[in-house]
Amino acid sequence: MSLETFASSRALSMGVELELQLVSTHDYDLVASAEDLLRMMARKDVPGDVKPEMTCSMIEVSTGICNDYACVAEELEALRSALTEAARKLNIGICGGGTHAFQDWGERRIFDKPRFHYLSDLYGYLAKQFTVFGQHVHIGCPGPDAALYLLHGMSRYIPHLIALSASSPYVQGKDTGFQSARLNSVFAFPLSGRAPFVETWQDFETYFAKMTDTGVVQSMKDFYWDIRPKPEYGTIEVRVMDTPLTIGRAAAIAAYIQAIARYLMIERPIRLAEDDYLVYTFNRFQACRFGFAGTYVHPETHEHRTVAEEIEASFARIEQHAIELGCDAPLGELLREVREGRNDATWLRERHTNGESLPELVMGQCVRWMGGEPM
Amino acid sequence: MDLLIWPEWPLALGALFPVAIALVATALVGEAGGRFGIPRVSGYALAGLVLGPLLLGWFDANDLAGHRLIIDFTIALVLFELGIRFDLRWLTANRWIVATSVGEMALTFALTFGALWAVGTGTGIALAVAAIAVGTSPVILMHVTNELRASGQTTDRLLALCALNVAVSVILLKLLVGALHGVHSGWQLALLHPLYLLLGSVLAGAVIAAAYLGLRKLVDPASEQGLAAMIALLLAAIALLTALRLPTALAPLVAGALIKWRDPRPHLWPQQFGSIGGVLVIVIFMLAGAAVSAGELFAGAGLGILAIVARAAGKFGGAIAFGPPSGLDLRKSLALGVGLLPLSVLALLLAEDVRLLYPDFGARLLPIVMAMTVVLGLLGPIATRRALIRVRETRRGDLP
Repeated sequence: MSLETFASSRALSMGVELELQLVSTHDYDLVASAEDLLRMMARKDVPGDVKPEMTCSMIEVSTGICNDYACVAEELEALRSALTEAARKLNIGICGGGTHAFQDWGERRIFDKPRFHYLSDLYGYLAKQFTVFGQHVHIGCPGPDAALYLLHGMSRYIPHLIALSASSPYVQGKDTGFQSARLNSVFAFPLSGRAPFVETWQDFETYFAKMTDTGVVQSMKDFYWDIRPKPEYGTIEVRVMDTPLTIGRAAAIAAYIQAIARYLMIERPIRLAEDDYLVYTFNRFQACRFGFAGTYVHPETHEHRTVAEEIEASFARIEQHAIELGCDAPLGELLREVREGRNDATWLRERHTNGESLPELVMGQCVRWMGGEPM
Repeated sequence: MDLLIWPEWPLALGALFPVAIALVATALVGEAGGRFGIPRVSGYALAGLVLGPLLLGWFDANDLAGHRLIIDFTIALVLFELGIRFDLRWLTANRWIVATSVGEMALTFALTFGALWAVGTGTGIALAVAAIAVGTSPVILMHVTNELRASGQTTDRLLALCALNVAVSVILLKLLVGALHGVHSGWQLALLHPLYLLLGSVLAGAVIAAAYLGLRKLVDPASEQGLAAMIALLLAAIALLTALRLPTALAPLVAGALIKWRDPRPHLWPQQFGSIGGVLVIVIFMLAGAAVSAGELFAGAGLGILAIVARAAGKFGGAIAFGPPSGLDLRKSLALGVGLLPLSVLALLLAEDVRLLYPDFGARLLPIVMAMTVVLGLLGPIATRRALIRVRETRRGDLP
């Protein structure tokens, strides 16, 4: 199987995917109700799509193709209200968050679909352990080479996106010390990490052909990269975010990515180099572990700053683009959160360290997501 | 030489020793069944039958009366937990759940009554058996779902429907007894008595719920003090209910549901509570066998089987007719019908209580109920377990 040709898409158009948790309203543990929820949603008229995921206690919702923040916010809201109504009929809770705080991976079931069974057979416990919940954002690119420029340029903003969306401090009932522990589960996969440093689609096709020759991969789907090109959509897909606890935050993060993309495409501010990636995994780890307080090493100057300072600087750079795109208001709210050092991970930790039990914490997550609370 | 300081020979062991042996034997039979994928409760029920008058005769009806408090307490405990799992908000969000419940109960009642009446048992007996047939065993459902760590749509509905049909079954039977009152002593009593039972139970339930929520502010339910407080609360409730001549089953169920309604937070059972409940369940199955004697069992066998078939048709019919519009697929609707089959200790006690009030009527009713509970107490748990595994609602990995 060779690589699809890179489809054309409207530059800067975007689509947002959210993986969501389904929990029981009795004990707030994950519950295998994806099938029932999907059957109920199939009868509803909602924008975008609602799909099964690897295990039976998760679903993935996605918006259609949107041009701006307003459209994303509106479609996510429509999905949220339809899902909430269906969930109440089924007596289940739906919530955001990159991990479920206390589920036991051994109790998960693989959703009954050939691809999921294949992955489960291949990856063993990693598949069930992959019951983690992420937000993916697609950004439309005018062409394949532009897509690769955007991919490598966006790679510098991975720590920013991790810190803004981090919502997975707890795994298997324990505090991991991380703000985003979810990415550690992703890292376990042999084909995770980052895309190779190639700047033209031709070189990328060569790389892909070499990889398929080894028999290691069959399609782009087999790569679990932080950012990967999606030739069939004509987009790049940013995949490092935890699913935020509210759709408001998810929409704002998508808007932030769109504004960065516009800045990169129009100003072309970066001269790409392979050596940019020397600090990549270090920066990524710092953001996962410490969030806004993590250290960010600048790929060119090698200057050390905090992730928070770096995010603030980025907001200044993209401000004009945000105004053009009409998303300066939500970005302003995000910036306020950064200045206060608040994100979803700190919200979760605060509640639990103040004595709220983990099941009650998950219930709080459901209230926030289903109630459509603002960021 | 004082003989009182030396043991007599043969040893005078008193009554405790056989009880200890019986308890171990019951637990082991349950465990042995568990090895072969048979629910433990089926094993307990079997051991109870073997120890009772049916075979070994270690226990008899006197033991049942003597240990009535233990049985009532255990059932109250189970129903309280079932009530806490029962979310009234769900019924308002999904009216079809109510329809499913009403449908399966009405159909079960009508078919069971019709079948028995058609073969000439007399209206009174047919009505009483039909009222008991409406219920599903809460002890078995809670035990089997806990054993499988089941969760999902079928499990949730199974427990919700069980909570509703147990309540309705108890009330229906009391109404019937009320009607029998009417035969004996005028219509005022026949009207007032069921009303008193119903309102009294709801009020008592509200008091228990308020006490529980108050206690929860003082002690952590998961701590030892919390456990002691909880047990004390339920014991006090049973004492009060008995003094008020109210059914001990209804108020704890109402209390649980009211607690969930007032405070939707997860009310998780402390670990030790589960262990105590587990031991008590073994005890009540061991004792329940004491109510079953060979003569009565064979006398009721024919009608019992007929009632079982009619009841099963009612449960299946209700679940399959109303499951799909409530958001289940056909497979899960069928599993729901199968899951509702178990009938056990509570049904037997309800019939016992009728016999205490009306010996003649009870003597005709009890054999039929006995036959039903023997079959559905042994095979019901297996059916429920199979159904839940079939729809993949167990969290315990893939089971045999």
